[in-house]
Amino acid sequence: MSGTPSAAPPERVLLPKRLRAAEVVDALADLRRRPENASVVLDFGQVEEFDSAALAFVGYVRSRRLPVVAANVGGALARAEESFVRRPPAEPVPAPPEDGRAGRFARACADRFLDRVRALGRFLAMLGDEAYHIGGYLRTRRGVYPGETWNQMFFMGYQSYPIVCLLLFLVGVTISITSAEQLRVFGADAYIADIIGYAMLRELVPLMTGVILAGKVGAAVTAELASMTVLEEVDALRTMGLVPEKFLMVPRLLAITLVVPLLVAMADVAGILGGMIVARVTFGMLPAAFLEQMTNTVDWVDFAWGLAKTVVFGWAVVVGAGFKGLTVGRSAEEVGRATTESVVLSITMIIVLDCVFAFIIY
Amino acid sequence: MDIISGRGLSVGYGKTEVLRDLTFGVPEGRITVVLGVSGSGKSTLLKTLAGLLPPLGGGFAFDGAPVDYRSEASLALVYRRIGVLYQGGALLNGLTLAENVALPIRMHFPDLPEDMVLDMVHAGLAQVEMADAASKYPAELSGGMRKRGALARALALDPDVVFCDEPSSGLDPITSSRLDGLLLRLKETFGMTLVVVTHELRSIERVADRVLVLHDGRLHFDDEASALAGADDAFIRTFFLKESAP
Repeated sequence: MSGTPSAAPPERVLLPKRLRAAEVVDALADLRRRPENASVVLDFGQVEEFDSAALAFVGYVRSRRLPVVAANVGGALARAEESFVRRPPAEPVPAPPEDGRAGRFARACADRFLDRVRALGRFLAMLGDEAYHIGGYLRTRRGVYPGETWNQMFFMGYQSYPIVCLLLFLVGVTISITSAEQLRVFGADAYIADIIGYAMLRELVPLMTGVILAGKVGAAVTAELASMTVLEEVDALRTMGLVPEKFLMVPRLLAITLVVPLLVAMADVAGILGGMIVARVTFGMLPAAFLEQMTNTVDWVDFAWGLAKTVVFGWAVVVGAGFKGLTVGRSAEEVGRATTESVVLSITMIIVLDCVFAFIIY
Repeated sequence: MDIISGRGLSVGYGKTEVLRDLTFGVPEGRITVVLGVSGSGKSTLLKTLAGLLPPLGGGFAFDGAPVDYRSEASLALVYRRIGVLYQGGALLNGLTLAENVALPIRMHFPDLPEDMVLDMVHAGLAQVEMADAASKYPAELSGGMRKRGALARALALDPDVVFCDEPSSGLDPITSSRLDGLLLRLKETFGMTLVVVTHELRSIERVADRVLVLHDGRLHFDDEASALAGADDAFIRTFFLKESAP
């Protein structure tokens, strides 16, 4: 619509009595349909009913962003226009530092890296604090609400058993079916028990249990603590002279430590049971034979390693969740973000720790 | 005598200074009202005085002893002598009202017999006229009841100073007036020091002994409440006499 108005007399467009957003859109569309150099006078004389879009339209026309002249702006429209606060001119955007796109990218990467390093430092500090608080609690039995550890054990353990057992049973079935196909090719059917026992006890149960805990327990812990932070409940605990990192975290850490052994044992049973059923159906292998074959390869050390790994994963989940929950900002939006980040952080830590364990164990 | 005294105190979040160079005193046994328009830094100042937000500059003393934010012991001393009534109450949702009030007592004095704790909780709740709601959870209480319950919790350990962050916000005039009455009773009966952050004119007129006005990131007024009426200051006149803003 830019261009010099033609020398021809301007065309007068009479705007309707009701000039609200919809009519403004129509008027703008009408103006855009005209030739670029057409000269138009918009007559506001009849306008009686208008809204803020109409007032903005008057300003838009007056600002000469269109080759259009506003005429007969009077009465209530003129009075409203006087009180319609116009947007100040946009402040000039400061020129970016003269280090080019690559320089800016490098700087952004460096800032992000430093943020991550700082966050890691805070996380490790919290991990140290929690170890200190657990020691302090076990020594003095103070600073934690009575019964809270039981509540957390109920939530983390009792309410997690069904899902952990179901998923590990299915994992056992899947691994068994996948392995059976290959073992049959080599005539090594009997080794299915060894594979299931070894894989379940040492790797799949700890890893899968950790991931399930991250999704179920970690997310819940972060959401709860983040909400408490946003609602100033954490501040309230602090001004009551309590240490939130102890009051809120110690029961959760004790609970995860206490429920994990039973959780792992039941998940081991469920996974092996899944494998055993497939072995019976596929190879006709009797359960007694399966167990005998399995116990020739795996023993309590494998169970203990699996248990130790899961306890460490559980701690990673709870500390990660607590870290995200207690360092959240002040808006409700951040609660959701912290919860998502907590799950991602927990799963990442579990996989990294699993890798570290692999180097230690094997 | 001032129980809290600020010297060149600057407060804010991160690198953002909200208030700077505040020098003031909170007299013992009286009600000091901190007021200002929304966003003037009232709650930020309260958080700093309550030991939740480290100052960006300067400092303050509690009962003559400088508060050192780097020292847990120094902060613990402050926490043991204050109670805070938060804007939304901040009662723990998983606990009943009675359990909320009992929380600081149980945590700080775990060896007290349970009967004694329950008696203290009942007395505390009765003081704020909430004894009947002892077994209710915060979600079952109205906004005014939550605030009164939170006040009972703030008073559970008989603090020397009670900080109240906008106690009247979101409350109807009758409930708000009841809460003001409670604050006055605490001062008159127990000689407590109260620091009340508010911008409710009715509350200020009723409870304030001393007034700190925050405006434009600075302490704009620090005097007796009675001096407000004669203050020759455009902002104060606008605030109190409801003159239209310039």
